[in-house]
Amino acid sequence: MDGPSKSHSASPFMPMFESFRSELDEHHDRRERVIKASRDITAASKKIIFSLQRVRNLGQPIPPGIQKANTQYWKSIETQYESISRDLQGLNTHRYGRNITGGNQEFMEALSFQHYIETQCLISYEEARSRVFNMNAGGESVLLAPEDYVLGVFDMVGELMRFAITAMATNGVIPGGEAQQNKTLTGIIRSDENDRDDGAESMDTDEPTSAQETPKVPCRNVLADMRELRLQLERLELPQGSKFAEDVEKKMSVMRQCVEKVETALYGLMIRGQERPKGWMPDLREEKRAPEAVESY
Amino acid sequence: MADRYGMVDPAIFEDLQARVDEDISVRDELREIIQTLEKQGKSVQFVLSRAHSTPASAIRDVISAAEGSIRIEIDTISKLSVAASKLPYYKWNSMWSRQIQDAIFGILFCGWLGGYTTESSGGSQTQGRLLTIEEVGQIMTVSVNLKDRDEFHLTIEEYLHALISLVDELARLARNSVTLGDYQRPLLISQFIKDLHAGFQILNLKNDSLRRRSDGIKYRVKEVEDVVYDLSLRNLIPKSGQA
Repeated sequence: MDGPSKSHSASPFMPMFESFRSELDEHHDRRERVIKASRDITAASKKIIFSLQRVRNLGQPIPPGIQKANTQYWKSIETQYESISRDLQGLNTHRYGRNITGGNQEFMEALSFQHYIETQCLISYEEARSRVFNMNAGGESVLLAPEDYVLGVFDMVGELMRFAITAMATNGVIPGGEAQQNKTLTGIIRSDENDRDDGAESMDTDEPTSAQETPKVPCRNVLADMRELRLQLERLELPQGSKFAEDVEKKMSVMRQCVEKVETALYGLMIRGQERPKGWMPDLREEKRAPEAVESY
Repeated sequence: MADRYGMVDPAIFEDLQARVDEDISVRDELREIIQTLEKQGKSVQFVLSRAHSTPASAIRDVISAAEGSIRIEIDTISKLSVAASKLPYYKWNSMWSRQIQDAIFGILFCGWLGGYTTESSGGSQTQGRLLTIEEVGQIMTVSVNLKDRDEFHLTIEEYLHALISLVDELARLARNSVTLGDYQRPLLISQFIKDLHAGFQILNLKNDSLRRRSDGIKYRVKEVEDVVYDLSLRNLIPKSGQA
């Protein structure tokens, strides 16, 4: 290569490039901080999702044990958002969008999954955004973009699949409907249901019958919710040729597969359910494999 | 009744769709301006490319023609600036960044050839001048390197991209100058792009397009050095102090 030293000192452009250098360094430092925070938010959100997958009941508060385990992760997410909020203000609000979107999406996935387990409803964008917004008491906060919200919800469908399949394998029924049933049933039965929460895995014997007893109650199960979510997500019209549309397209097929996996699993449960031993896992190509399931029961 | 719509409150997706629709209409508006800018940018390049076949003595015509078509381009940039200043800058700037880089390059090349002379620079058409990002901003009548306001502006990265395009163009011009019998200009170009190369070397660029493109500057330096070498070998380099 050419020896730059020759012309180095002589270059009349040096002062200009020196000021560029400090500007660019500042920009890169800021970007690094955002990337790091995004990774930490992603990691903490994954841990939250992981423990939420141990929940077996819908439409009820998160069991205290799991709630407690997750507190530290929610805290750490809050700390991370706080740490970068100054970097993402004013002109820079959207500047590092690509660097923070990973963390935002994963956070959205955790938040919407927990919200779904608790209420069996989808959290709204406004609510999700204000959750991030309120993380910094100082007023400056990170923006959760609509894109982050939508992409996070796409990923949440995958968690619903895992949740549904695990519940079907352990309890022999697809989760859902309990929240609605509780409203119509008497308080006695309700408290009976609450008792069952503590030992969910051993209490599955009468669950199918109780569902059969109240056929007129409109009880949505996870599959119905996933289908509804699928329809809504498919209906969104996105700006053609945008990064957003591109990202959505990638996630769309995965999301459809997730719904279909649960449909397949439920079909298996209906047609062969009685013949299967408890704890049998539907044969899915993903991480759930039969030997694993058999081992744990 | 909550049960009527089940899990998803339809208002959620109506709200999202409304937000997306707003973005779509912004996109359409911007795209129209940017397409015009793209076309006008091509006209500027078309005019400027005559520099490669025009002797230095007649370059004045090329410069004034280029300045003329750049003026038309600047009108469009002003429109873009007005439209874009209403929007969050970094949400949209990738849409026009390339066209703006090209526009900056056009102005830089024109300025290098001797265009945009002001009273402060003596008024005479001196070639080999580098317009700063501030000067380019003044010519375009837009802000540069904003930090405190979220409005349209030229970024450092865009200016640096344009500088790399300028280096590429000048390497080509060095060879074509020889063809035109101008043996002085390659020396000027050689020193100029060496100085720029030295500048780029002190930047801590990350692994992005700017980094990849700036890696090519050293080859341009080498190419022009080869031209200078060819000239000196044949004793074609004019004696210094001739100007």
